[in-house]
Amino acid sequence: MPKADARSASLASDPVTRFFAVLAQPGHLETFEGESATLRFEVLDGERVDRWYLTVANGDVTVARRNGPADVVVRIKRPDMEAMLTGRLNAQAALLRGLLGFDGDVAALMMFQRCLPGPPGSTGKVAPITSKTVMAERRAS
Amino acid sequence: MSSELVQILEGNTFVVSDDRGDIEASLTDPTGLFSFDTRFLSQWVLTLDGQRLNALSTDDLHYFQTRFFLVPGTGTVYVDAKLSVIRQREVADGFHEELRILNHESKPVSLKVRIDAASDFADLFEVKDALKKKGRYETKIAGNSLVLRYMRETYCRETWISSSSPARMDQNGLSFAITIPAHGEWKTELDVVASIGSEDQPAQGVTRIRGERRVRRDMTRGLEKWIQAAPRLESDWEPLELIYRRCLTDLAALRFSPLTMPGHALPAAGLPWFMTIFGRDSIFTSLQALPFSSELAATTLLALAERQGTRIDDFRDEDPGRILHEMRYGEMTAFEERPHSPYYGNADATPLFVVLLDEYERWTGDIKLVERLEHAARAALNWIDEYADLQRNGYVSYQRRNAKTGLENQCWKDSWDSISYRNGDLPGFPRATCELQGYAYDAKMRGARLARLIWKDPAFADRLEKEAADLKRRFNRDYWVEDGQYFAVALDTDGRQVDSLTSNIGHLLWSGIVDKPKARAIARHLLGPRLFSGWGVRTLAEGEARYNPIGYHVGTVWPFDNSIIAWGLRRYGFKEEAAHIAAGILQAAEIFGGRLPEAFGGYPRSLTKYPVQYPTACSPQAWSTGAPLLLLRTALGLEPTGENLIIDPALPTWIGHLELLDLPGRWKRIDAYGRGRVDTDRLLAR
Repeated sequence: MPKADARSASLASDPVTRFFAVLAQPGHLETFEGESATLRFEVLDGERVDRWYLTVANGDVTVARRNGPADVVVRIKRPDMEAMLTGRLNAQAALLRGLLGFDGDVAALMMFQRCLPGPPGSTGKVAPITSKTVMAERRAS
Repeated sequence: MSSELVQILEGNTFVVSDDRGDIEASLTDPTGLFSFDTRFLSQWVLTLDGQRLNALSTDDLHYFQTRFFLVPGTGTVYVDAKLSVIRQREVADGFHEELRILNHESKPVSLKVRIDAASDFADLFEVKDALKKKGRYETKIAGNSLVLRYMRETYCRETWISSSSPARMDQNGLSFAITIPAHGEWKTELDVVASIGSEDQPAQGVTRIRGERRVRRDMTRGLEKWIQAAPRLESDWEPLELIYRRCLTDLAALRFSPLTMPGHALPAAGLPWFMTIFGRDSIFTSLQALPFSSELAATTLLALAERQGTRIDDFRDEDPGRILHEMRYGEMTAFEERPHSPYYGNADATPLFVVLLDEYERWTGDIKLVERLEHAARAALNWIDEYADLQRNGYVSYQRRNAKTGLENQCWKDSWDSISYRNGDLPGFPRATCELQGYAYDAKMRGARLARLIWKDPAFADRLEKEAADLKRRFNRDYWVEDGQYFAVALDTDGRQVDSLTSNIGHLLWSGIVDKPKARAIARHLLGPRLFSGWGVRTLAEGEARYNPIGYHVGTVWPFDNSIIAWGLRRYGFKEEAAHIAAGILQAAEIFGGRLPEAFGGYPRSLTKYPVQYPTACSPQAWSTGAPLLLLRTALGLEPTGENLIIDPALPTWIGHLELLDLPGRWKRIDAYGRGRVDTDRLLAR
């Protein structure tokens, strides 16, 4: 089917495909240790729905492009999904804001969000502040 | 408006109204129906023929149920009522209100009953900081319901209001035109449902209304079951039974079910504004309550593990392995204007998570849970060395990376001036407060026990014990204030001692990080005139530059703090000193009617005669509620050892005989007895 091939080729470089490819590559994620769940992602792209089916079995991860019953089904628009998978949108915030909808087990969704990256630009570093600066700031406020 | 506020709640849904049951909130006024940190009703005002009502009395039937007795008129000298109104309200997914109007006359009466209803959908943070809303409002009538809606982009929240008797709905509320026969009664049932609405599922609110009645029956049963399952207490000192009963009921009210764990409860931090998961508060309260109920600890551990940090996120102060500080669900969190999704800015909950896991296993023998949480516990232990040692000097320290909305002080004393030098100067950041080193030491020691016993990893256990021993050795050298004979409250960025005398030294005893020869001096300070007020240990010692007997963390007495200190004193064998702490705090509890506030004034006891309550918005507070429970444990000297529970009482004489019957644990059920033999009169007269 030349049409489908063309589509998968064009998708190969998109962030969603890349994310799941990387996730499936090690085949085992430490952060999912002891966890088992199935998740189906329905990524809405205009009229089109792209599906990813994620299986976690005691930390082992497999990803497939298919439909099927899952513990939780997640519905999200493609730009929001891309933002979430690249750390620009927090999953919990997306849920509260109504950008991300789900049916099924919220615990499975909670588990999934652990593998998402932090915001770009977060370094974990901060410059120390001296006692003098703290005292000066207090006097100013 | 009537000034007295009435609160009822269930989980994180609560109603704050005046004593008539009316709600008339402004942006800064904290009344309303709240759920998931959002106000779903800011107006709910009942009138009869346009006239407001007057409260005769209010009955708090349960923590989730209140009954208001009202009459028409606006509170003149006496009431000559021909009608009375009974409003009974219960909280569930919103609230359910039964409205009854009684006609006392021998002729029929026709009335216009009106309820004005509106919502501003304010986030709790907006109520606190008086911020303006960014979205738009809509009101519509859908079938038999009045629907109030707020929308901002894709964010949507709805309040569904319906009545069992036919009502005329309009944009601003509901009206009933009724006639009540002579000596008759009219009744309607009103349901107000808080809903996470969306354009796609307008029926969601209605579906939830149907589930209401069952939920309410379960709530009453749940409270009875909870009280019955707890150990029974008997004592010659009668107030103790009242205090105990109050603690159990308040703890029941503070139970909170995480969305991912329906049917399981953990202790939220405080009622009503802190009805959410707080890492530190939920852990401490679970520790205090362990001898009485282990379910709170189990749920706390699982819920915190589920949300354990996994990435570097500077906005949320998140690191891999870090245990969360606070979780919120409101609009500002949704739009990332606040970092509480969740926020991770604390430096103590992570080691305390391991401490709780070990203590839980000692009481329950629940090896399964320890196995299930092995990965989380290892990640927490790893966080201590890899992410919390900000200065690479072998000590846990903290500094917020979110300078705008993050927390400056990430220890339990989280106000801006809580950590100071003797002369009142504030240290820079990072700060390595002393109790954090104690918690880290204890976490490593307890982690080692679990690793050896349950995870079957003796090499990891050896490593943890070696690290703990090294930390203890360095700590006793670097933090010891030689000229004061106590431990500095912190080390600053230059490794210099922040040298004021604080209650934190009591936590060090609890953690076991104090070298035995130094412990006597610590106990002496804790019961000495600078720290001990006669009611309890002050957060900051008298004589320090920032000492203020009514300063939040700089001189007040915190019941929670004292309960941990008593536990610490017991750990080092200071039984009588621990009995004194229990005596002071329990006597204060008696004066507060069984419900201890978060903190009270640090004035010398002889000066004020009564403890002076520090004004805080939340009551009960979870870890104040837990304090008497932990003090019962320390007074009876309850210590799980292997398969047994050691009982080694040291009680104030005036308590007389004390029994705790049916203490649950790995031994199934055990009774503990004690008789008061410690004379506490002299020190408490201070």
